[in-house]
Amino acid sequence: MNRLRRLVHFFGGPAGFAGGCIAGLLLLSSIFAPLVAPYDPLAVNILDKLLEPDETHWMGTDQSGRDVLSRVIWGSRASLAVAGFAVVIGVTFGVAIGLFATWVRGGWLEQAIMRVLEAVSSIPLLIWAIALVGIFGVRDVQWGPLTISSELKLMVLLGLLYIPTLARLTYISALAEVASNYVAARRLQGVGELRILFSDVLPNCLSPVIVQATLMLAIGIIVEAAVSFVGLGVQPPTPSWGNMLSNGRNYLISGEWWLSVFPGAAISLTVVAFNLLGDGLRDRFDPRHSTTMGYAT
Amino acid sequence: MMPADPLLRIDGLHISFKAGQQWRDVVRGVDLRVAAGEVVGLVGESGSGKSLTALSIPQVLPPGARISSGRIVFDGTDLVGLPRKAMNERRGRDIAMIFQDPLTALNPVIPVGRQIYDSMRTHQAIGHKAALARIEELLALVGIRHPRERMRAYPHELSGGMRQRVMTALAVSSNPKLLIADEPTTALDVTVQAQVIGMLDRIRRELGIAVLFISHNLDLIAEICDRVCVMYAGKVVESSSVESVFAAPRHPYTRQLLRCIPRLDADTGPMPTIPGLPPRFDSDLVGCPFAPRCDEASDRCRTSEPPTWREPGHLAVCWDAA
Amino acid sequence: MASLFLRRLGFSVFSLLVVSLLLFMLTRSIPESPARIVLGDEATKTQIADFDRQHGLDRPIVVQYAVWLERLVLKGDLGRSFTTGLYMNEQIADTFPVTMELVIVAFVLASIVSVFLGTLSAFYRDSLVDYFARLLAVLGVSIPGFWLALVLILAFAVERDWFPPGGFVPLSAGLGPHLLSIALPCFCLSVFYLAVITRMTRASLLEVLNQDYMRTARASGLGRGRILMYAMRNALLPVVTIAGVSFGHMFGWALIIEQIFNIGGMSRALLTAINQRDYYMVQTVVMVFTIVFVLANLAADMINGWLNPRLAAAAA
Repeated sequence: MNRLRRLVHFFGGPAGFAGGCIAGLLLLSSIFAPLVAPYDPLAVNILDKLLEPDETHWMGTDQSGRDVLSRVIWGSRASLAVAGFAVVIGVTFGVAIGLFATWVRGGWLEQAIMRVLEAVSSIPLLIWAIALVGIFGVRDVQWGPLTISSELKLMVLLGLLYIPTLARLTYISALAEVASNYVAARRLQGVGELRILFSDVLPNCLSPVIVQATLMLAIGIIVEAAVSFVGLGVQPPTPSWGNMLSNGRNYLISGEWWLSVFPGAAISLTVVAFNLLGDGLRDRFDPRHSTTMGYAT
Repeated sequence: MMPADPLLRIDGLHISFKAGQQWRDVVRGVDLRVAAGEVVGLVGESGSGKSLTALSIPQVLPPGARISSGRIVFDGTDLVGLPRKAMNERRGRDIAMIFQDPLTALNPVIPVGRQIYDSMRTHQAIGHKAALARIEELLALVGIRHPRERMRAYPHELSGGMRQRVMTALAVSSNPKLLIADEPTTALDVTVQAQVIGMLDRIRRELGIAVLFISHNLDLIAEICDRVCVMYAGKVVESSSVESVFAAPRHPYTRQLLRCIPRLDADTGPMPTIPGLPPRFDSDLVGCPFAPRCDEASDRCRTSEPPTWREPGHLAVCWDAA
Repeated sequence: MASLFLRRLGFSVFSLLVVSLLLFMLTRSIPESPARIVLGDEATKTQIADFDRQHGLDRPIVVQYAVWLERLVLKGDLGRSFTTGLYMNEQIADTFPVTMELVIVAFVLASIVSVFLGTLSAFYRDSLVDYFARLLAVLGVSIPGFWLALVLILAFAVERDWFPPGGFVPLSAGLGPHLLSIALPCFCLSVFYLAVITRMTRASLLEVLNQDYMRTARASGLGRGRILMYAMRNALLPVVTIAGVSFGHMFGWALIIEQIFNIGGMSRALLTAINQRDYYMVQTVVMVFTIVFVLANLAADMINGWLNPRLAAAAA
């Protein structure tokens, strides 16, 4: 009982805890999709096409007789992978750049980095994501031994677009830490600047970064869905929530509502979960809401 | 000595705070009188309830605090339970207040003249031109040079002392009968403190305003007050004219406070302090709340509540006051 | 104020320079050259070289950028597509107003409703209005606009006949049909930002209401209207910033919404250009969006400078 209460407290309250639980379940079901999904998401069965939801197909079937529930479960892989890896890229480079700017503070290099980061922050994320994925094409690109799929392109691109925000966030908190008394005390003890940066400053400015990263997961899921929705992201027949919605759109007028309602509900549920989790963590780790900026796509 | 019907009469005021699920009394039965034109000082440590008592008069208590019982009779009307609209008419017009930190107490994005203007136009039937002229006059009165230009200034463009002068001009703009000053000089530099106190004293004499002056600084109280009330743990423990409190304090807490006033002429020893801390407001009090810190306390003090000792113009709540 | 304006303007120009250079380099670094796209795979080396020389593609990227920038700044000329030969100014003039109208209507709708709702929610904390506003704020940021659009089309255009399921009726065809055709798109576009701004208004106002100067205002006996004005002048500062950012982002989402409702705005121009591999057009559309985004932020900064004298003072 006490342990549960502590866990709830860690997530910043019941809402954050609920968000964390839903996000955790979604993550598990996407990792274990082969075990969880009742059917093969790619198995075509023309005889069973466009069936309404019933007890054998909980979310119905699509125009090729594929089970929508299984496709929704498998589709979570693309969404979570794109959102997750983009955040990893953004956090890695963002924190590194932010810390580097703090390290060279006081010089022209710091000014140059921060000005350029600020300038690049004025990039509208969604439109650039769509345009750049469009420019680089949706087909797989062979680059040496690597196959660069359109998901990978989207991941890297989104990650790059996340960098300025996270770098500025790190820089602002790191600068405050560097000016604090305990860092001055460490310096008087003869600890080197680089060591202070990594062992004292970095751990102390991670919490706003983690909060922002959680909210960026939600943004990533929406952006992935949007890009796939206009046909530039994950390519059929591989299921993704965005391309399922895009397909479902064609059957809206004829009344096959389940093709668009369920993938959309999955997106909403995931985004709600990450937003609740992010808000909870923010209440817990950054209560003054001083540095993180929440949702902005 | 005291007029039969004072301007402000507080009887048995209780103020409570919500602590978890229950309400806890922080102010526990304060009685207070302020006669018209009189200057009354209210002293005590932080947490003694003096600021809450002050805030309860115009009913601007912080969220989570409420008046749980008692009467606040101002000019013949009980303010407790007065309808919102009737209360609002008295705020600013009859009862005005100045606060500790004039930087945070003035709206940062509105010119100071405009803030005075809005308050004046709320309470008085005064035309636009007349109001502007009056503001200029008021600013000059509180000792601001170039009042016409200063009207357009924003709070951040003024110094701390100037802000407190503006705050005072705002407070007295509608000729209130009572001015409540909640530690008006605590946030200021020592040199500026004296100027602001001098200004306050001059203004209240010129306009004939009664003042309730809240401070933890007995020195200041001695300088401008007629009477002083000492608060401890949510109650007034001693109340008298300034002269008799300083000459013959009856409550040990008052004596200790007096001992803590730094003196230039005294031989240099360690600054005297009162050992211990005031009781937490969420603890149940038995006996005299000051007993644990009192060097004169006996067993009686620790077990039963002390009686109120009275003499014309002087009261103290202590077993040994007589 | 003037110096704040100049500083922010200077920064906006700098941002646009950096970002446009980045965009220019990205669109020039794609593997397929415009010459190949136009002339086909059978084109000879000399044909390709001729094409490149004609369009100035043989020069270094920085020179190309300088030429492009000079024409844009001095003549307001966005240039011609290498592949289709279309004039960009005409293309933008055809599609931009449609998108702009959707965004402005949605933005005005979102701003008015959200500031109103957020204010009520803060003043009547923990009341029914507050719970409603908070629920709306969580749902609004979580339901993607494009899904909402599909559900609304299903409910109000397919099941019932209240709105057309798509298409854009120009104002020249009558006000009623015009408004009906943009009602659902604007609503879908506004929901997300309505939620964001409501949240921000509520949080900001709650913080302001706890400030000392609001206690002074109450102790001065000011009426409700004045109290509200005193609070809002302070509380609106972060709201304006968020609103400025929102306006820029709405353009991005308008693409998706236009796509669903089959409206021929900038989205059609962009997606057609992507399909035809007309990178010049893509670059132009993205640049226009970025300019709008930067200008919206600049406008928000200016409004804040006017609302908050401390900002103007800090810049002086």
